[in-house]
Amino acid sequence: MDSVVTDPTQTNLPSDPPNSYFGGDSGAETRRTTSSAPEEGAGPEEGAGPEEGAGPEEGAGPEEEVPVCGVCGEPTGDGARFCEACGAPVTATTGAAASAATTPAAASDAPVSSPTASVEAAPDPGTAPAASSTAPDPAASSVAPGSPAPAAGPTATSTSLPAPCHACGGVVAADGYCTQCGARAPAERDHREEQPAAHVAGVSDVGVRRRRNEDALALGVAGDVTVLVVCDGVSSAPDSDIASQAAATAARDVLVAGVTDVDARDAGAWSRLLVDAAHHADAAAHASVDDATARQDPPSCTLAAAVVGESLLVAGWLGDSRVYWLPDDGPAEQLTEDDSIAAELMAGGMSRAAAERSPDAHAITRWLGADAGDTTARTVATRPGGPGWVLACSDGLWNYASAPDVVADLLRDALRRVGNDPLTLSRDLVAWARAAGGHDNVTVALARLTPPSPAPPAPAADAHADDAGTTPTVRRRPPGSLAGEPVPPRP
Amino acid sequence: MATFRAEVFQNEFLPDGGTDVHAIVTVTAEGVGGAATAGGGVAEIVMIDTSGSMTGPMLAAAKHAAQVALDHIPDGTWFAIVSGSHVAQRVFPYPNAPVAIVQMEPAARAEAKRAVSRLGAQGGTAMSTWLRLADQIFATVPAATQRHAILLTDGKNESEPRDQLTSTIRAVTGRFQCDARGVGERWQVDELREIATALLGSVELIADPADIADDFRSLLATSLSRGVADAQLRVWTPQGGQVLFVRQVAPTVEDLTARRTAVTPLIGGYPTGAWAAESRDYHVAVRVPSKTLGSEQLAARVQVAVGDEVVASGLVKAAWSDDASLTARISPEVAHYTGQAELASVIQEGLAAKAAGDEATATVKLGRAVQLAAETGNEEATSKLRRVVEIDDEEHGTVRLKRGASRLDEMALDTASTKTSRVRR
Repeated sequence: MDSVVTDPTQTNLPSDPPNSYFGGDSGAETRRTTSSAPEEGAGPEEGAGPEEGAGPEEGAGPEEEVPVCGVCGEPTGDGARFCEACGAPVTATTGAAASAATTPAAASDAPVSSPTASVEAAPDPGTAPAASSTAPDPAASSVAPGSPAPAAGPTATSTSLPAPCHACGGVVAADGYCTQCGARAPAERDHREEQPAAHVAGVSDVGVRRRRNEDALALGVAGDVTVLVVCDGVSSAPDSDIASQAAATAARDVLVAGVTDVDARDAGAWSRLLVDAAHHADAAAHASVDDATARQDPPSCTLAAAVVGESLLVAGWLGDSRVYWLPDDGPAEQLTEDDSIAAELMAGGMSRAAAERSPDAHAITRWLGADAGDTTARTVATRPGGPGWVLACSDGLWNYASAPDVVADLLRDALRRVGNDPLTLSRDLVAWARAAGGHDNVTVALARLTPPSPAPPAPAADAHADDAGTTPTVRRRPPGSLAGEPVPPRP
Repeated sequence: MATFRAEVFQNEFLPDGGTDVHAIVTVTAEGVGGAATAGGGVAEIVMIDTSGSMTGPMLAAAKHAAQVALDHIPDGTWFAIVSGSHVAQRVFPYPNAPVAIVQMEPAARAEAKRAVSRLGAQGGTAMSTWLRLADQIFATVPAATQRHAILLTDGKNESEPRDQLTSTIRAVTGRFQCDARGVGERWQVDELREIATALLGSVELIADPADIADDFRSLLATSLSRGVADAQLRVWTPQGGQVLFVRQVAPTVEDLTARRTAVTPLIGGYPTGAWAAESRDYHVAVRVPSKTLGSEQLAARVQVAVGDEVVASGLVKAAWSDDASLTARISPEVAHYTGQAELASVIQEGLAAKAAGDEATATVKLGRAVQLAAETGNEEATSKLRRVVEIDDEEHGTVRLKRGASRLDEMALDTASTKTSRVRR
């Protein structure tokens, strides 16, 4: 939890991170948010009710919001935390009831009195520090707007207690479970957000069905270049959540440190850098647990990375996490080509839909980790001719939207509804995947690519042999087309 | 310094719509010194049946056993001897003594032995009076926090209605622990089991009066090894959840469900009595509202509290999954003790049916018992069952009632029915 003391944006928060003992990994680069109720798939901003520091003498929410129990449908008393009729926790069932339920129980016959009321600091989007766009250090993460500021509310009486239960507002015990409803306090890793600069953000979420978030996210900015890295831990191998974060962080760090040293127009150099980053990520996944080589199922993960410049976009990958290029005008493209059984089936002529429905569709054929074979990332470069969005994601998203035009429609719809802040957009896409089923962990990273205007002439003169033909048209390279580049030896 | 630890064995995965969570919680106490180290004092009372039926070798054996017991009560321990018939009388300290209980020292030991040697047998049997007197005696030494009694009888509680015994047991429950021993074949297993169960003790048959002394010796050794005077099992369930049952399942089956006292609205406390360095298993079953697939919650916290301090805690979880390979699995520990608890009840039900002349029911129940004893590897139960039924097919539980099975064999089976074999791990 180094970030708590090193992150200058955090100085007005309690020095003791309320949930620091709930496990998860060190996650030095990311900030967590816990304000979304996982069961409901709601974005954090949807869960925020009215000011909840109200004293007991104040009534519950507005009159028209008569909360009903989501289990049995009976009306619940104002301020009641549990349904009088069936005993179900009120907050776990309806969003409208959530705000009422967190006020101290006013009804004398409410089954639980309000010993916990004093520590119920409501997530308040307005008070959370929002220094995201000003963080100059690419490695520094920011606090997402809307992330909770635990115990920062005016009624908070103690800064040492853990955050209240996300399901019922009760006190969370040291064992990580609520003392009232038994809900597990979200692990820090369950929902992470990053926004190192205004134009780039990402969200990694545990989803609905999985008990642990094994996806990892690492974003960075170096000068005019933006770096997106998404890793998806292999769920059948224990500790893959540790490996995926180690790999993502390592890859991001190599890319951020390296991009400024090479020509921003040199696709070959960027590709080599991506291959190098993947090797470092593999080493980090390998080293993430002490005994990786001794294990039958050593921790392992996928990698999807994108290096986004003003007029060049290079993606590198192993496994089935993806990078899409979604231009404002023109056809959307899936830049990566999954290393998976499904992709092999498609290569053999099967339709995308049929291949992705096949039983082994999610079996990946290449990955990072101690038992990985060739860890040389495949890369592909494009030279966008206009503005657009670069999306890196895990299969938790593309399971529900795979084809590029479908993904583009999804993003367009989100842009129309929530605007163009990449963090808000990422949250929206994650919420959409959760609502669609959320069977797997969901990770979404978005970067806005805006070429300098007016668009510069294509630098055909100094192009490498393999980036010949750089035109405003997005060009898809077949896998291995960059093989002519000398690949650095593995570290 | 005594330390406790709690280990939970369960399959936390529930199918969609599943609500019932079962777990075996093994509680182990270590580093427990003897009772003398427990702080507070130790008090022992021996209750000897001196009703008319004891006349003869039985009384002689009982008196000898009481004297042996006196030799094994260490100096400094509070002690008293009670003789019981249709009334109870304090034998030592003598009825005219100014105090009801004294601390052991050589002179007191010699005088107590003399008092025991003068016991004669006459009158009926009303055990409630014995228990009441013991309770009154214990009450005079509040400093003695660890209170243990031994009750020895040879006969039926014939001088009072059963509900009088029951109400007295209820009145003294929680005031002291009591092991109950029946000698010979004329006592009622269910009466002594009621006493021992409520007072957190054991019930045993002593077939041969010559064995009473050895039994007393081992009872005292066990009692005096208990360095933790009292521990409470606590079960927290979430709001909206309920405890289905809480059962001790090893070393014996004891249903604790009805013994719940509220610690908080969500936490129930169950008495477990004094602890030596030992391990006990509990089967906790709770019902929680079903949640969506993929969610996980705590279904119970099972804790051990000594005084007001929680000294061990185990977490029982519930996780809803659509993966049948996860949800279909039954925890081997839960399966084992579910079988052992059923074994205890079918033995008792089978013997009760046999006593009532319902041989068909007795055959079915004891057949099931044979099957369960074999499945769960309870060899003691199997060997005792063999003395009561002819086993035609152990696997299928096909048995015939043994003609001429002795009452002693049936009582031995009955008293041992609650003893469980530990799960093989």
